This record gives sequence, structure tokens and C-alpha cells, in this order.
Amino acid sequence: MDLFVSVLGSLFDPSHFLFLIAGTLLGLTVGILPGLGGTTALAILLPFVSSFDPTHALALMVGVLAPTTTSDTFPAVLIGIPGTAGSQATVLDGYPMAKQGMASRALSAAFLSSLVGGVWGAIVLTFAIVFAKPIILAVGFGEQFLLIILALVMVGALTGANVVKGIAACGLGLLIGAVGLAQITADPRLTFNTLYLVEGVPLVVVGMGLFAIPEIVALLQSRTSIAGDMALKNQWFQGMRDVVRNWFLVFRCASIGVIVGALPGLGGTVVDWIAYSHMRQTTTRDPDNIGKGDIRGVIAPESANNAKEGGALIPTILFGIPGSGNKVLLLGGFILVGIEPGIEMVTTNLDLTYVIIWSLALANIVGAGLCLFLARPMARITTVPYYILAPVLVSLVFFASYQVNRDWYNFAGLIVFGLLGVLMKTYGWSRPALLIGFFLSSKIELLSYQTSAVYGFSFLWRTGSIILIVITAATLWFLVRQKIGSEEQTEDPGQQRNQMMLTAGFLLLPLAMTVGVYGLDPRASFYPLALSFVLAVLLLWVVFSQYLTRRATIAGAPLPSSLLVRDVFTQEGRLGDQIREFLNLLIFLGMIIVLGFPIAMVAFIVGFISLRSPRHTLLYLGLGLGLLAITWVLADLLTLQYPAGLISAYIDMPWWLSGH
Amino acid sequence: MRVLKLAAACAAFLAAGATAMDTAHAEADFSGQTITIVVPFGEGGGTTRVFGYFVPFLEKYLPGNPLVQMLNIPGGGSIKGANQFHNNQLPDGTYVLATSTSTVVNQAVRNPLVEYDLSAYQPIALIGSETHWFTSSKVTAEPYDFRSIVERPLVLYALNSPSSADLFHVWVFDKLGIEGAKPIPGLSSAAGYQAFLRGEIQVSSHGSANYQRQVVPGLENGEFTDLMSFGLVQLDGTVNRTPYSPDTPTFPEQYERIHGQPLAGDDLTTYLAINAIWNRASKALFLPTDTPADVVDAWRDAFRNIIQDPEFLATSEDALGPSELIVGEEAGEVVASAAVLSDVVVGQLNDVLASNNLTFRIE
Repeated sequence: MDLFVSVLGSLFDPSHFLFLIAGTLLGLTVGILPGLGGTTALAILLPFVSSFDPTHALALMVGVLAPTTTSDTFPAVLIGIPGTAGSQATVLDGYPMAKQGMASRALSAAFLSSLVGGVWGAIVLTFAIVFAKPIILAVGFGEQFLLIILALVMVGALTGANVVKGIAACGLGLLIGAVGLAQITADPRLTFNTLYLVEGVPLVVVGMGLFAIPEIVALLQSRTSIAGDMALKNQWFQGMRDVVRNWFLVFRCASIGVIVGALPGLGGTVVDWIAYSHMRQTTTRDPDNIGKGDIRGVIAPESANNAKEGGALIPTILFGIPGSGNKVLLLGGFILVGIEPGIEMVTTNLDLTYVIIWSLALANIVGAGLCLFLARPMARITTVPYYILAPVLVSLVFFASYQVNRDWYNFAGLIVFGLLGVLMKTYGWSRPALLIGFFLSSKIELLSYQTSAVYGFSFLWRTGSIILIVITAATLWFLVRQKIGSEEQTEDPGQQRNQMMLTAGFLLLPLAMTVGVYGLDPRASFYPLALSFVLAVLLLWVVFSQYLTRRATIAGAPLPSSLLVRDVFTQEGRLGDQIREFLNLLIFLGMIIVLGFPIAMVAFIVGFISLRSPRHTLLYLGLGLGLLAITWVLADLLTLQYPAGLISAYIDMPWWLSGH
Repeated sequence: MRVLKLAAACAAFLAAGATAMDTAHAEADFSGQTITIVVPFGEGGGTTRVFGYFVPFLEKYLPGNPLVQMLNIPGGGSIKGANQFHNNQLPDGTYVLATSTSTVVNQAVRNPLVEYDLSAYQPIALIGSETHWFTSSKVTAEPYDFRSIVERPLVLYALNSPSSADLFHVWVFDKLGIEGAKPIPGLSSAAGYQAFLRGEIQVSSHGSANYQRQVVPGLENGEFTDLMSFGLVQLDGTVNRTPYSPDTPTFPEQYERIHGQPLAGDDLTTYLAINAIWNRASKALFLPTDTPADVVDAWRDAFRNIIQDPEFLATSEDALGPSELIVGEEAGEVVASAAVLSDVVVGQLNDVLASNNLTFRIE
């Protein structure tokens, strides 16, 4: 009881509260731009942390981190750009809703579930943190390995219309994820001796390439606005009612968020996908609408991704081991202000721990609450005409991908995965399956090796393993039971031929990998070789199914209906139109190479708008110069140097433009 | 009148002399300039933290009180940022490189992606560290007892990658004769420590800061058992125990206990090289190759002044952990021995890699 009073006292102590709010506001402001967020804001803050009073510094840091997974919902829903890994699944249903004029409903539902999820996370944490240590220590290599397998099985719900095609997409992701250094032997695999591929393409860049680029291309092609000719519906209250009606889903997904965030191995990165798949598998009412703008597809990931932040605090506080990327910075901040993570945090310093946990919850409430009120005005973005919005979006996506780790090779990664995204979207390949495979690949390989080195097969008899195997089996049962509706396919033989060529083209990847790793030590080559073989078989199966369907189409015979062969020709739009618009991105890339990023951005925006709408002089000049000013301020705040263009070799430029 | 003139002349002479001395001593002047410290790691890393601590002191002690900013260029285990520094060297003292053990190790193991050459730069200062090994009290409760580790059939430990600084663990365990030692690959130091807490690996290691923070409490409550530290090599070549942990024997002591003879010959040569990489040059600051001598001196003087600053003396232990600073010429020798490994050292490392059935080689 004393504890309760003292925690409440410090929580609502006016200065603590003020610093918390200040931090939250800073985090929100920075986080509205895709690619930036609490992590960036914390990085800005960290040098000054030691000059504050420790309790104020703590409030400020927690406040800054809290709204990261809240504010990134704006770009995810409104413009289809997942600025952080935590908002990738939100795009799946959130963006289609924006396209249907229901942006305000999607946003208000997202923020309310974020808020509730965050508070539920704090409640769970309050009790769990006291006895979490033995549970977390029970999760060894074997349990972590099974957790990854469980995540893979769960994501089986996202395979799309044809199961084999979906599994093959996941296989593609796994194989692409195997590019880089084999960690066990340090042998390079298909790196072509480049540092960029040794490191691997960052997950956020892959996500933006696969999801944001195809949407931008589609927007360019539509020549309207995001909401098109759909009237903007004001369904702000409707969104909140949706959350209340789906309270049990919120509760389940938030719990998943806390658990996945706290456990080692999987990490919080894919928690939104797990929550999304869980929703998909357990939905019996009206499942066909999911993925096409269903509010439940927004609620599930958003309830989980805020709750996971709380979960990720557990290992940070208990062991001094960061539970997620931004916790690395938070841990640095803790140490700067004199907080020593360790078991004392749940014994003698329990009050401090509770202050941290509840500050996080409080900041969540404030952050999500503010966003809730911003939802309606922000929804208007979806009515901005394409010729203004598209060039800004292109600039934002490029900026965000650069900012991930400040590597301008990410532009290449973005273009390659963007093209892949366009191809996959048009020809009905599951992009989530590829993304998840990509993320989990290195973990599967390493954990299987680590598990066998420490346990052999004996890990299967540990309590945690048995629990996980049971859950995995249950998930499989749900998966098999899940009904997959039949979807419309293209019947144009020309399009069908193109689709078959793409499937056959995918075969080049396992082929290249096989050639690339052949002759390496088995510890480096076994995993990619085995994967390549399985993937090749799957792809051949898809080609074969496509061949059967095409023959039936031409002959006018009934199409194959068996689950494993049917629906192989789903299609969205025509590839040629998409590729034409895709060229805009290549033009922008070319401009960056010549002019450097900030100047290219201004030139692209001014050029694009003035070509299509010459009368808006003030608008495009204002937009261009405004964004230039923002990049300049960011450069100063973050000590950020932008990719320099070729012209910087001839013209003297300020340091943040010149690249050296 | 004459007296006054003489006095004035004297004063003028003295003033001129004083200015002349000043300029001779520190011609470099950074007033109004911005100094960029290239940090080839992310914002949250230890290297950013360490040099971030120095930033206000540098602004105070560098001539002209310039603005000092840190430019984080993470990637490729610091290869990306260090390469960028190498290819954009501005030899006017406004562009410096911060490094850590991984930067040194990438060059030492001759990674083909490395373009930089630390041994060619002008070192300003090295900030040393210490490496500690410890085990669980379930493995042995007797402090510093390597015998029972040697006798175990299987001793698992974390190895991030055989091309990283963890490679030296393989050498250390090999030279101590621990035949049951087996590396578990792909574990970062944080993941490795967590696996150690779970009891999945038996021996773990930490640098001095984390040792004091995370391990010492465990030693005090009997959960962990201390094994050894790597040792602090002095400028004259002697190896000292760590002042904050005076009972912990060093690697050379443990080597002698196990083998009955002191560390000598090729083993000693290799030990000194690894020690330079791991401990003595654990963090370092460099100026570009062609930096003029007066600029180099200005930087080194700034560091000599910083380590006597009362605020530094009061706060550095908390901020940096216990660490030893080497400023100036001596630092150059340490860096050279760390970044460019002799054939003897390369041979030893490749031998232990081979005998541990690892395929990575220093070529």
C-alpha cells in the first residue's frame, strides 16, 4: 500500500508529469515523419540527459519512447508507408480503409486500441515483473527455436489464395534472408563482396519496398487521390465503437504483445504480424473482408504493438539486456542517470520499476489520446490530389529508408524490393509471407545450430518446449480449419503466360544460391542448399498448377479446384501500367545520384507538380522549400549527412549536403 | 622618462615573447570551427557513449573552443564509417575517427572489405579496458579455479563470429588447455550473457564496465565465480592486475598455474597483440595521416589537460568505468601492434581456428 502511494506520488508529481508530457510531445512530433520516431528522438535527447535531474530525465526518456508505435500509425494508414517494423501489419487493412474514405475510422480505432493495449500491457507487467525472472530464464535456445517455428506456422494464415504459392513466397523470403555472412563460419553467401549485402538489407527497407512502393505506384497510376472519388466519411466515433465491440480481440492481442515482447528469441519486431495472423485464424464471422479494409485488421496489430513495448522492458530492467532496438538507447539512458538494471529493480527498487512502467502507460494514454484528436484533420491527407501527394511520398519513402541506418545503398534495396513488391502484388504473391520469412531466416538457422550444440534433441522434453509444441499444434489445427474463399483469377492467356514467366523467374534465386554456396563448409551451405531445394520444388509445383489452369482456360474446360492447385492466377491490375509509373522512382534515384538527396527532393517535387499542374507555383515552391528546411533542421539536430550528389565534387556546399 | 621607455620596451618584448611562445606551442586554433568525430557505430553503442562523455571537455580544452559534434555512421561492424573516414580525410584537425575493438579487429584479421589503415593515422588517445571471465558457482564455487574447468568434458562459451574479436576467446581457451571448450556461434555479448544466466553456456566474459555493473553483484551473492582477467599491460611490458579487482589473477598467471611455466615465446607475443586489440586500444581516437604536427600536438595536449580536469577526475570513473588512458606517441606503437598482426600471431590464431574445426582463416 505504501508502495502504491509512493508510486502514485512520484507519477503525478508535477515536474515528473510535465517532463513526461514534454517527452511524449517530442516523440510524437518527430514520429510523424515515417522513418523517424521515438528512437530518433531519444538519440537527439541522449547527449543532454545527464544535464537533467535523474527523475526528470527518466520521465523525459520514457515519454519520448512511448508514442513511437502510436504515431507511426498515421503514415501506415493514411499513405500506406510502414515507417517502423511495428506498423507493417497495420498497412494491410488500414490503407485499404483509407482508400475507401474511412481513414478517420481506421485511425480512431487504431489509437484507441493502442491506448488500451498499452494500459493492459502495464497492468500485466505490474504483476508479471515480480516473478518474470524464472520464466524468462526458462526460455532457452530450444524454446526460442520453437517460438520461431510457432511464428512461422501462425503466419501460415497469410499465404493468400493459393497455399503453395504462399509457402513458396515465404521460402523466397527465407532464402533472401540467408544472403549475407553465414554466422557460424563467417563465409559470405551471395554477397558479391559488398559490405551492404554482408550486413543485409534492413527489415524496414524491405517492408517499405514491398508495401509502400506498390501503393505509391498505384496512386500515380490512379491519377486521383488516395481516397479517389470516395467521399470522406466521418466515422470517428464508429472507430471507437469498433474497439469496444472487439474488446476480447484487443485483450488477446495485447497479451500476445506483452509475452512476445518479453521473451528472448523472437523479439518484438514481428509481434504485429503475429497478432494479425491470430486475428485472421480466429475470425469466423465474415472472414473474406480481411485484407480488404477490415477494421479488425487494424485493431489486432495496434493493440499488440504498444503492449509489446512494455513487455520488452522486462529483460531491459531485470537483466540489463535490451528487449528491442530502442531499448538499447533506453538502457544507455538508464545508466547515464544512474539506474542499474538487475534483480534489485524488483526488490529494493520496485517503486522505481513501477514508476517506469506506469510512466510508460501514462505517456501512452496521453500520446494516443492526442493522436485520437488529430485523426480527423489528418484523414484529409487522403483527399490530396496525387500530383501533390505522390512526389512528397516518394521523397518521404526515400528519406525514411536512408534514415534507417544512414546508408544510401538502401535506395538500391528500396528499388529492388519495390519492384519485387509491384510484381508480387500484381500477380497475387503474398508479400507478408515473404517479409516474415526474410526476418526469421537467420534466426531459424542460428537457433537450430545453437539448440543442437547445447541439447541435441533433448530440448524437446523440456517443459517450455512441450507447451510450445502444444500451442503450435493448436495453431496448425486452426490453420487447417480456416476457410479460404475462392478468388477471382485472370482469364487472359497473355497475362497467364506472364505470370508463369515470373514464377519461372523466381527459380533463378535458388539456382544462384546453390551455385553461390556450393563447396562452402557444410555449416555454411547446408541451410541455404536445403532451402533452395525445397523452394525449387514449390515453385515448380506452382508453375505446374499454372500450366494446368492455363490449359483448362484455353480449352474452356472447368478450372482445377483442388486446394493445392486452384487460384494460382489471381491478379491486380496490369503489370505494364505499373512499371511505367515505377519509372518515376528511377528518375528520382537518378536525380539523387546527380544532385544529392535534399536538392533532388526539391527538384523532383517542383518538377513533378509543375509538369502536371503548372498553376500551383506557390504551392510547389512552398512545399519544396519547406521540406528542404525540414531536412536542414534534421541534419543539424541529428548530425545527419545526406547522400551527396555528383555535383558536390564541383560546387562547394555546406557539410550536410557535401557528404564529407 | 627613460626608465619608463625601458619598462615599456621590456613589457613589449615580454608580450611579444609570450605571444611567440604561445604560437610555437599551439599554432592550431579551431575558433569558430566545427569538429566532427566520426563514430562508426550507432547512437546507443558504447563508443558513442564514451566519446560523447569527452565532447564537452574537448570543447573546453581544444584551442579556440570549437563546436564538437559526433557523426554516427554505423554498419558492417564499423567498417562502413571507418572506410568513409579513410576516403574523406581532412588533415586540418576538424575530422577525427573514433574506434573500438571491432574496428581494430577487422583490420587485424585482414577483412577484404577494410579500406582504412589505423596504423597510418595519428593516434590522439587510447582508452583502455579490461576483459573478465567468470563462471557459474554451479560449475565451480572456488574462485579463480581453472583446474575444474580444464577437467570438464564440455565447456560451452559464446562466439559471435569467428571473424570478430571473439576469435581471441578461442585462442585463450586453447592456450589454457581447456580441451572441452566449444564455441556456440552467433551469440552477441548480450545474448551470450543471457544464455549464461540460463545455464546453457558455462563460461562468459565481460568488459570492465559491464563486469562491475552486472557480474560483481553476482560474485558477491555467490551466484557467480570469478575466473580471471586478461591483464593490464604496462608501457614497460609488465602485466598488472586490475586495481578495482586486485585478487583476480591475470591470464599470464593462470597460464603459469596450469602449465607450470611462465607465458613466453610465441604465446607471449600473441598475448601482447591480443591484449593491445582487446584491452589497450579498446577505444581510440585518430587524426588523419597527413595532419600537421602542431595540430596533432594541440589534440594530444587537450587530452593531457582533460585528464587533469577536476570535473573529469570526479566523474570519469562513473562515466567510463575504470580505464587507462594512453596519450600521444606511445599510443602509436600499441595501435601498430594491434592493427597489423605479425606472422607469428597470425600463425597461432590460424592454428587454434583449425584445431577448433572452424573454417575461418586470417589470410
